[in-house]
Amino acid sequence: MSLDAVVTAIQQVGLTLIVIAIAVAALEGVLYLLLVRGLKTRLATPLMLVAPAFVGLAILIVYPLLWELNVSFTNMSLRNFRDPGFLGLENGMFVGLDNYVEVFTRPVLQLTTFWQLLLQTVLWTVINVTLHVAGGMALALLLHRQMRGKGIYRALIILPWAIPQVIALLIWRTEYNNEYGAANQLLRMAGFDGVPWLSDPFWNFIAMIITNVWLGIPFMMVIILGGLSSISSEYYEAAEMDGANSRQSFRAITLPLLRPVLTPAIILGTVWTFNNINVPFFINQNELETSDILVTALFRMAFQYNRYGDAAAFAFVIFIILLVFTVFYVRRTGSLRGAYE
Amino acid sequence: MSGPTSVPAPAVTAAARSARATHQPGGRRDSRPKRIVIHGILILACVIAAFPIIRVLSVALRPGNRLLDSEFKLIPEGATLNAFVHVLTETDLPLWLFNSLVITTGTAIVGLLVAATSAYAFSRFKFPGRGVGLTALLATQLIPAAMLLVPLYLLAVQFKLANSYVGMVIALSVTAVPFSIWILKGYYDTVPIELEEAARIDGCSQLEAFWRILLPLSTPALVVVFLFNFLAAWNDYFLARILLSKEELLTWPLGLQRFQAQFQAQWNDLAAASILISVPVVLLFLYSSKWLVSGVTAGGVKG
Amino acid sequence: MKNRYRLASLVAALAIVVGACSTGSSSPTAPAASQPATSGAPSGAPSAEPTEMAFPEGDFALTMWTKEGEADGSFQFNKKLTDAYTALHPNVTFELVNKNVEVLREDFQTASLAGDAPHILWTVADHIGPFTSADLILPLDNLVDRATFVPAAAEAVTADGTLWGVPMSFGNQLMLYWNKDLAGDAAPATSDDWIAAAKSAHTGGNVGIAFNQTESFWLVPFLGGFGGSVFAEDGVTPTLDTDAMRSALEFLYDLKYTEQVTPAEADYDVADGLFKEGKAAFIINGDWTLGAYSAPPDGENPGLGDKLGVGPLPTLTGGEDPKPYIAGAFLMASKAVGDDADLQTVVADFMQFASNKDNQVDIVQTLKRLPGNAEAIEDPIVTGDPLLAGAAEAAQKGVPQPTNLEMRCVFDAMTAGVRDLFTGNNDFAGISASMQSGSESCIAAL
Repeated sequence: MSLDAVVTAIQQVGLTLIVIAIAVAALEGVLYLLLVRGLKTRLATPLMLVAPAFVGLAILIVYPLLWELNVSFTNMSLRNFRDPGFLGLENGMFVGLDNYVEVFTRPVLQLTTFWQLLLQTVLWTVINVTLHVAGGMALALLLHRQMRGKGIYRALIILPWAIPQVIALLIWRTEYNNEYGAANQLLRMAGFDGVPWLSDPFWNFIAMIITNVWLGIPFMMVIILGGLSSISSEYYEAAEMDGANSRQSFRAITLPLLRPVLTPAIILGTVWTFNNINVPFFINQNELETSDILVTALFRMAFQYNRYGDAAAFAFVIFIILLVFTVFYVRRTGSLRGAYE
Repeated sequence: MSGPTSVPAPAVTAAARSARATHQPGGRRDSRPKRIVIHGILILACVIAAFPIIRVLSVALRPGNRLLDSEFKLIPEGATLNAFVHVLTETDLPLWLFNSLVITTGTAIVGLLVAATSAYAFSRFKFPGRGVGLTALLATQLIPAAMLLVPLYLLAVQFKLANSYVGMVIALSVTAVPFSIWILKGYYDTVPIELEEAARIDGCSQLEAFWRILLPLSTPALVVVFLFNFLAAWNDYFLARILLSKEELLTWPLGLQRFQAQFQAQWNDLAAASILISVPVVLLFLYSSKWLVSGVTAGGVKG
Repeated sequence: MKNRYRLASLVAALAIVVGACSTGSSSPTAPAASQPATSGAPSGAPSAEPTEMAFPEGDFALTMWTKEGEADGSFQFNKKLTDAYTALHPNVTFELVNKNVEVLREDFQTASLAGDAPHILWTVADHIGPFTSADLILPLDNLVDRATFVPAAAEAVTADGTLWGVPMSFGNQLMLYWNKDLAGDAAPATSDDWIAAAKSAHTGGNVGIAFNQTESFWLVPFLGGFGGSVFAEDGVTPTLDTDAMRSALEFLYDLKYTEQVTPAEADYDVADGLFKEGKAAFIINGDWTLGAYSAPPDGENPGLGDKLGVGPLPTLTGGEDPKPYIAGAFLMASKAVGDDADLQTVVADFMQFASNKDNQVDIVQTLKRLPGNAEAIEDPIVTGDPLLAGAAEAAQKGVPQPTNLEMRCVFDAMTAGVRDLFTGNNDFAGISASMQSGSESCIAAL
């Protein structure tokens, strides 16, 4: 680590902040002239406030999405390795909806079909989110009382969340090693045989789930703990006076009152788990196709096999699936209604 | 579950908290056997949570070059700090950590500024496209990240922003912005607008009211958004890999790969580096944990 | 819309202006200032090889991506090489970046798409498959002297009659290493002898034969040993569903389940660890670990020292000599280099320099790899060292690894089959059939 390198880093970030500041100032300046002096609208303030964020998003998310949409109608791949231009019409790369059709009809990478991947992904998501919520709920209920050491317990239990994921995943992967990993060593100490976590498809899937659950419970626990704190004790006192036991008050009071907090968390959790590329990528390391979920297959299609056209179509299919789910779920539970008021 | 970042819940305002008594189930103390069971379960949970870190520590302390040892000892024989020393003095780990820190701080600052102002607009104003805007922000969370990598890189090269932190910071802060806006907006919603109106009557401009009244009251949420952005940038691997190719610009996830040469990994170096990388982040997390737990999630609870 | 363009161009303008002013960073693209070569004496110190034309003037900041890491000292060797060249030609500087093999391939492709590719690559031969399909690298026939290379090495990077790489080291073949304490001094002559020796060693916590059970690279020699190959004559149609494949699968299956001379589960690191700890009698591994395994037992990274034996894989009883794949490390140039005559000259000169006899002998000494230079491989430093001679013998029994695009599909399909095999699946016909169909569907989609 030389002084040069340190200076370079600081220069780079200083440069960044300056560039961004100037860009935002320029943007705001333009908008000011346009909206305040030009149109004289009272919408000027809010629009100027949200402009940097949305301009940034437009450039960094909308443009790439449009690029991908464009590519999805072409056969861009290693054999046709150039920028397709508009829909690939000029370079003869246009293939219409072929890529989209092939997503559903051909094996995605080698042997696995889209439907199998979808099933694997849904299974993966449902199992994980259920375990996250159940585990988080259990721990939160345990912690939500006056007790000694509460702070220490809390601090230790959120460790999986705090540790950088890349590192946590590398560690877990080595713990699944047949001979030397903790998982099998513990099993053997308990009298069972070791399990081929990394080579057997079924056990590898379980291994991924175990790791992801370990990673995800702290977040749910924190959310639920927060939600529990907001439930007024009056409800519980009234229930006690009516003779309700703890299970009944849980079902009648706790769950319904947690819902406004829990539902957004579940939606987020589902979306993140569905799109989780880190856990399968680092635990599985592209080795078992049976342990792929949709997004890891997408990554491999794009980067390992360089089938850019196919990958773009595939990506949109995944996105639409998630979009439909989210819209459906949000509408049905009405959970985000409050946010729009 | 693991998002690209972590998502803490902001705290509730002091005003809101005094308005309702917090609930302690079982106002009376639990019975002794029950307490023992509860503590037992919690201790088990802590062990499970901390176990991998302890294992990594023991690998880092192991002499020689072996990750895979048939013994199960926690503190290995001949434990030595050599790996730590080696990794700190003879590799570029300090540089990588510094680079990451620099990028991350930049990202957190930019992300926080952008989100704080945008969330204010969404919370305090009604304007056409508000609902659509909020929905669009939510929709961005659905996009699989792999989809964006190649076009982002092409964009970066076009604007000569590859191999520079400008591209990294912009990309990282923009990815964290949608969620930050949602969190902050929800929090602002719980702060009564009357406070700002009172200030304006007293002569403050709207933006002054924002700056002097709303922001200080929103400190817990701001802290949380800062933490959120910080972690997103600190842990990022894929963006860094695609945008940074120069040795002196590497962040720690890229640097860590250096310890995994094509077929031979240096396990105790890897382990020592992992510990060193994790410590500051864990400390940061623990320090801000009081804001994490003591509150209510944004936008969910009304009254 | 207007704002976006304005913003974008403003940012771009600023970025370019400031980028040009930042200190210390060398531009990754071809240098802007390169003057035409002047006639007369070349500038700077005399170069190691006599060049036909004057060495170009102007500053050349070359970027080189290398797969070589620091762990085994190979990255440092790269650096030494580039530093030596800069000492000869001070106007040529290098920016050296290390990337893992897969990352290097993926990132090079992405960078080329953006027009931001590095000038030189130091990577593996099979990368010429994807790189030539996508037309990303430069043909080298007119730029370097093919006659100075070991023929088999040059073959490995020749496709369609064109030379695409310059061999730095050559080999990469799987061979047999043994621990003389556990396996005896001499190499086993046939596979029956080999298994017998392994059996007697496979006791008391030791294993007979360790090898990476998770990758198809380790299946290949045995496929060849039973007379099979992955492609048909045309070089692109996979022939994985053959008797030879079934025999190879059966042979490996027997090692683990019938003769039981292997560990229960072993990836690369496990096998490597066992052998280094002295707990494995034999290991099937590549020539890249020769340096590590032959290191003295009392050094910082202990190896087996004198107890190490090296040789080709034994002849299969009922078959032939196993035929491992040969590859190596090669220099390649990105396509863009060819657009600038001076740049091309400099790069070609560097490649010739890196592959000259002295530097190649240096590779042998420092990294214990077989050289790609034809003179160097005849040098006593190779022929006089029993370990290197054993490695050279093993290399000569190998076949060049196919480098075409389809090979990736074949490797992946075979890897899936190998992993299936080692979970105890003895339906060899089924495994080879699914390998075939897997690779076919993958190739069809390319």
